[in-house]
Amino acid sequence: MTVEVQTKAKLPQLSSDKQLTFIKLAVLSMAAILSFATRLFSVLRFESVIHEFDPYFNYRTTRYLTEEGFYNFHNWFDDRAWYPLGRIIGGTIYPGLMVTSATLYNIMQFLNITIDIRNVCVFLAPFFSSLTTIVTYLLTKELKDEGSGLVAAAMIAIVPGYISRSVAGSYDNEGIAIFCMLLTYYFWIKAVNTGTILWATMTALAYFYMVSSWGGYVFLINLIPLHVLALMALGRFSSRVYVAYSTLYCVGTILSMQISFVGFQPVQSSEHMLALGTFGLCQLYAFAQYLRAHLSPANFELLFKALCTTLLATLGTAAAVLTITGKISPWTGRFYSLLDPSYAKNHIPIIASVSEHQPTSWSSFYFDLQVLVFLFPAGLYFCFSKLTDANIFIILYGVLSIYFAGVMVRLMLVLAPVMCIVSGLAASSLLSLHVKDIEPKVEKHEKKKKHENNLVFRSEVGAVFVCVLGCLLISYVFHCTWVTSEAYSSPSIVLSARAHDGSRIIFDDFREAYTWLKMNTKEDAKVMSWWDYGYQITAMANRTVIVDNNTWNNTHISRVGQAMASTEEKAYEIMQELDVDYVLVIFGGLVGYSSDDINKFLWMVRIGGSTERGAHIKEADYYTGAGEFRVDSDGSSTLLNCLMYKMSYYKFGLVYTEGGRPPGFDRVRGAEIGNKDFNLDVLEEAYTTEHWLVRIYKVKPLPNRGV
Amino acid sequence: MACTSANVVKCHCQKKWSSVTMPAMAKIQFCFTFILFIAINCASVNVDNISSDVKFKNVDRTIDLSSQLVKISQKITLENSGKSPVKSFLVAVEASSKNNLAYIGAKDSSGKDLRVSETTVKGHDSAKFWRVDLKDALNAGSTVVVTSETVFTKALQPYPTAITQQEDQLVKYTGNLYVYSPYQVTSQKTNVVVVTKGIESFSKVKPFSQQDGAIQYGPYPNVAPFTEKELSVHYKNNSPFLTVTRIERLIEVSHWGNIAIEELIEVEHTGAKLKGPFSRYDYQQDLHSGPASVRSYKTLLPASASDVYYRDTNGNISTSNMKVKKDSVELDLRPRYPLFGGWKTHYTLGYNVPSYEYLYHSGNEYLLKMRVIDHIFDDMQVDELTTKIILPEGSVGIKLNVPYPVTRLADSLHYTYLDTKGRPVITFKKSNVVENHIQDFQLRYTFPRLLMFQEPLLVVGFLYALFLLVIIYVRLDFSIHKAEHQHKD
Repeated sequence: MTVEVQTKAKLPQLSSDKQLTFIKLAVLSMAAILSFATRLFSVLRFESVIHEFDPYFNYRTTRYLTEEGFYNFHNWFDDRAWYPLGRIIGGTIYPGLMVTSATLYNIMQFLNITIDIRNVCVFLAPFFSSLTTIVTYLLTKELKDEGSGLVAAAMIAIVPGYISRSVAGSYDNEGIAIFCMLLTYYFWIKAVNTGTILWATMTALAYFYMVSSWGGYVFLINLIPLHVLALMALGRFSSRVYVAYSTLYCVGTILSMQISFVGFQPVQSSEHMLALGTFGLCQLYAFAQYLRAHLSPANFELLFKALCTTLLATLGTAAAVLTITGKISPWTGRFYSLLDPSYAKNHIPIIASVSEHQPTSWSSFYFDLQVLVFLFPAGLYFCFSKLTDANIFIILYGVLSIYFAGVMVRLMLVLAPVMCIVSGLAASSLLSLHVKDIEPKVEKHEKKKKHENNLVFRSEVGAVFVCVLGCLLISYVFHCTWVTSEAYSSPSIVLSARAHDGSRIIFDDFREAYTWLKMNTKEDAKVMSWWDYGYQITAMANRTVIVDNNTWNNTHISRVGQAMASTEEKAYEIMQELDVDYVLVIFGGLVGYSSDDINKFLWMVRIGGSTERGAHIKEADYYTGAGEFRVDSDGSSTLLNCLMYKMSYYKFGLVYTEGGRPPGFDRVRGAEIGNKDFNLDVLEEAYTTEHWLVRIYKVKPLPNRGV
Repeated sequence: MACTSANVVKCHCQKKWSSVTMPAMAKIQFCFTFILFIAINCASVNVDNISSDVKFKNVDRTIDLSSQLVKISQKITLENSGKSPVKSFLVAVEASSKNNLAYIGAKDSSGKDLRVSETTVKGHDSAKFWRVDLKDALNAGSTVVVTSETVFTKALQPYPTAITQQEDQLVKYTGNLYVYSPYQVTSQKTNVVVVTKGIESFSKVKPFSQQDGAIQYGPYPNVAPFTEKELSVHYKNNSPFLTVTRIERLIEVSHWGNIAIEELIEVEHTGAKLKGPFSRYDYQQDLHSGPASVRSYKTLLPASASDVYYRDTNGNISTSNMKVKKDSVELDLRPRYPLFGGWKTHYTLGYNVPSYEYLYHSGNEYLLKMRVIDHIFDDMQVDELTTKIILPEGSVGIKLNVPYPVTRLADSLHYTYLDTKGRPVITFKKSNVVENHIQDFQLRYTFPRLLMFQEPLLVVGFLYALFLLVIIYVRLDFSIHKAEHQHKD
């Protein structure tokens, strides 16, 4: 691509050097602008609004940070969530995202640019995508040349795998974390290539920013040591690598421990042990090389063996003792599910219930990466063909992230940048190989003419190849735009559908319900809902919730699951125990919104039954005799009489939803509901939104005695 | 307002403050607030006497109870039975309802407004009095017809105070059967308009008659001054009982041709509270379900309004329609949820209007003429209104002229894009506002027109400095030691 650009007709006034700079700048800035612009679909279609669930929490904390200042934010104990436990927000989040947007906001306020904090949050991810584009260019340039850098930058600007988490409004940690990660890699490659403390310290600072913004930093702090180990194994370990890694580890670790959520993990948890071990190994390796230079080979060997045995023995015992005493944190579930995709499903229902923790299907690789899937192996070939320290790093990064992306859908995000970088290498190399051939011959080539004549139709083949690759790249652009527009740009807080006449209908029920809660319930009312909606309720309705998306307390969530899965009387006891004033359920049966609470209900049953107090709740009770989950009259009576069923279908039995169907026809399950005629004893309908998407019930107080 | 006394105070002010060193503008502002304050106070310090010469020969009174407001209009035939001409007369409001009074006005027979000013009468401290100045003095023995209009808010009490979703809202009005007047009333008639057939009960003092949606009382002959007798009507009233508990109206003037208006509005349904559950099924099945609830209402904006937005803290409210009519823009605003008794909502409504319709200037002198408050819904009642006017940066010599007394708050500064020293903000407040208060205020200020170029020049200057810095950085070598150039190529 750049080679094409380079050979364009010369601009008359400028020297060729300046032209090149100008063209590079133009391509890069266009890629950066494009990456911002392509993420604005949802803003243009709907409005500048925060999407989904977690971003609402981030938005709320950011608002708190801008209003109350950093110190209060750091010490924030949130009594609006996890009633009656509360949550220490300052100590349980990665504050990088909030601090970033609060800083941007404050700078702009200082310059009298009066932009709402919400808009800062909405546009933060696209803005950081632009920065990512630039960093990708720098990183790829460091790996190969500027041409590949530009191609990679253009590719990452629109890659759907990254867009899925960074559209405008998707205000989540990942939005800035990918930028931090690539920045760290760029500095790391720089540090390895130059061996200066300056670049190594820059790496550590970038790493600190990464740690402060995303839990995925663990990937990074394992990848870099792996790179060092690989260099050692390949005999490429040099003083440059030694300086780079030692500086990075020392500064980076101390900095990362400043984040209170990370704390002492870098020296305790098993996920960080590789980095620590590699650091030790680096010292030993360097020390051994130093000794080797000063001792005779025989003496050295003896010393080496003795030292090795003692060291291994001490390290082994220390590790064992620490693990037993609990100083080293046990292997966490999320980590196991990385290594063994079926682990979570079998052991921890709460992890398995999150859709983004599911293994990736093959189709979604193509969906998210398209032509990159094919260019990636070619790029790996080019990396191997000219092996350098930096190339080894990118190979490791590519191979590892492919594995992890296969385990968990959300880690596609980590894979997308390396796919772009490696594919950028491939595309640029292939193009520069063949564009040379179509060029009209220059005098310089005369020497090699003998060889060239061996191939017939050389320039034609080159032209065809360039055309084919061009077509592929163009199809990539169309695919990316289509995916972005169709799949990744709905805010999920506002739904839209097409009416029969083609006009657009907007379902704004979520905000309707949350605003109703905010304006018309008591300030200290407690709202019980499934944990998915916890963040949205606290952020938009400003009411206390029992559980939220920060699923840190399994028993608490399980208690809510038990309430939903029990009969009214049993549920009433649980609700009294938890001081619940309102219960909120999502019901899609009227308009056909399929991710509603009835479809999530089996997870509630499983999670509810996973603790001791919910042992009486058995998943099998909610199935029909044939093992089916049905809401019609064939469904199990336990299901038809549980609280969730009653709350979802209260008075629904009277409603005609589709022509030619009996009343009470559920459009999601495609069945007429089985239990139509019932009353609620302990609850009363407090509010139901226009399309019945959200139903809020008020828990009645205990009846007076003797009435 | 007592204009003459204001002038006196002004002189006094300048004398008093001339010795203190204050910035000129602050001084003027302070003086102005002070004058306003004094002026309002002066008005209430007025003392009048009840003239025994004046008599109300005939009063036709209409009490309109069809909305949430109580609108009383009285057609008074005034008679001068004394010997000397009468220039003014008094109207009074009884102690029980004086706190609910939102607006009082008077017109002569040709429909022209008469000046009404608040006053007091010795020996009648509990009631409130207004002096109406007649256009021409009323000669001895002659009569004149004057129409007075009063509007009361919160005078209708929901009774019962809580109803279920399906029930109609019943309200109770308690007032005075006779015209409350400081003078003898020779003959009077009262017409109570309720527009509904559903009257539960009403006071029965003969002679009276009841027709569809109205009750007539009287004529009652020769009623003595200050006579009070309870008149109560208990009837069905399903008209929207919406109260704007707070509205903040922001007017931002730009000399580049635009005036941006933004209103932050908090609304509450102040009728009978909702008792028991809200059933969406019933509400959707039957359009007559929830008769006392408010599904939507209409807001009228100026005809030139454009770029209208309707949102709240959670984002855009997607349920609204806009109709552009000849003389106004009609917005059909539907809150996110229907409003039942006791339910609240809040929203932000904003739009732009071209400045040539409201902003006049000659040289550097500008005059802004806009409404203190605009229409929100028919028969609106507003508890608290705050109007803020943001003028362009560099405006000085600000003089505010309001159609009725308001409380002016301290001026402040507002900073936004490309501001250096801030834009002056004029703020004033008024409580208990109704539709009759939709009147223009006038704001005079001086703005040196050359200042218009400040902001573009600022941008140009910044870019110039930036490019200059880049040029300097690129052209000069700042490194400590010479970089080795061997590696290149």
